Amino acid sequence: MDLSIFLSTLCALSWGLQAIFLKVAMRRIPLYTTILITLTINFIVIIALISIGSGFFQFYHIRFPVYFYFMIAGFLNYFLGRGFYYSSFRFISVTRGTSISSSYPILSVAISIMVLGEKLPIHQFLGIGLTLTGVYLLMIKGKR
Amino acid sequence: MSRWRGELEALSAALCFGLAPIFAKKGLMSGLDPFYGVAIAIGIALFVNICFVLLTNQGTRLMSIKQYGLFFAILAGLCNTVAILSYFGAMSLGKVALVVPITCIYPLFTLLTAYLFMRESEVINRYTVIGSFLIVFGVILLAI
Repeated sequence: MDLSIFLSTLCALSWGLQAIFLKVAMRRIPLYTTILITLTINFIVIIALISIGSGFFQFYHIRFPVYFYFMIAGFLNYFLGRGFYYSSFRFISVTRGTSISSSYPILSVAISIMVLGEKLPIHQFLGIGLTLTGVYLLMIKGKR
Repeated sequence: MSRWRGELEALSAALCFGLAPIFAKKGLMSGLDPFYGVAIAIGIALFVNICFVLLTNQGTRLMSIKQYGLFFAILAGLCNTVAILSYFGAMSLGKVALVVPITCIYPLFTLLTAYLFMRESEVINRYTVIGSFLIVFGVILLAI
């Protein structure tokens, strides 16, 4: 098997399993402690890999605007996004929380249409329809 | 409103997950190695999270975490780290058009694992299954 396919599948599997482990963990420990533990592990591993790879010197050459963009991205994705995502598990099933939050690419498409005025191919319109229908089913019909 | 809290949090997570790549992309346009970008993003999220935990006096609870909860939080963190690393690995080796659709199937792994191991606590009905599949297929169509 192509290594990229194996890694992509491993990625999907790890992301999928992560949600289950989180749900179990959050029965015993508070939300922000859980986020703290997961972020600490992420940070330690990535910094360790950078230190044995190309080293830290590249951090000195990064310009402030680039730092700024990644700081906003990190705040949105790893702090706010994770906060909402993990918190949703306290109120709805992990399956619904994961599936609803995975509909995020639709936002990128909406921005590309509204801000950039891009025209979409037909399959992407179909993708929007399917995603919105899925979100509707999970939010309205999936609730019991 | 509290009746919909879980769903609204999952949608807010999707909003944050959707907005973050816009800023990350701006940062990556400088030619920076994405690994360094992820390190900055996770680092700032970790810093904000530590401040939040300390300011809300949740720091004292860290010492009283049950081992059971800690174990699953660490597993979730490791899964998340493996997902991030394998995503970058797959992206560097394979074609985006192949890697992105495969990684998008992660809600189905969550659905399957929840069905197999968490049947007592997870509400999985036909709408949850159909909705999850529709979102995954919709997102794949948007990504290709």
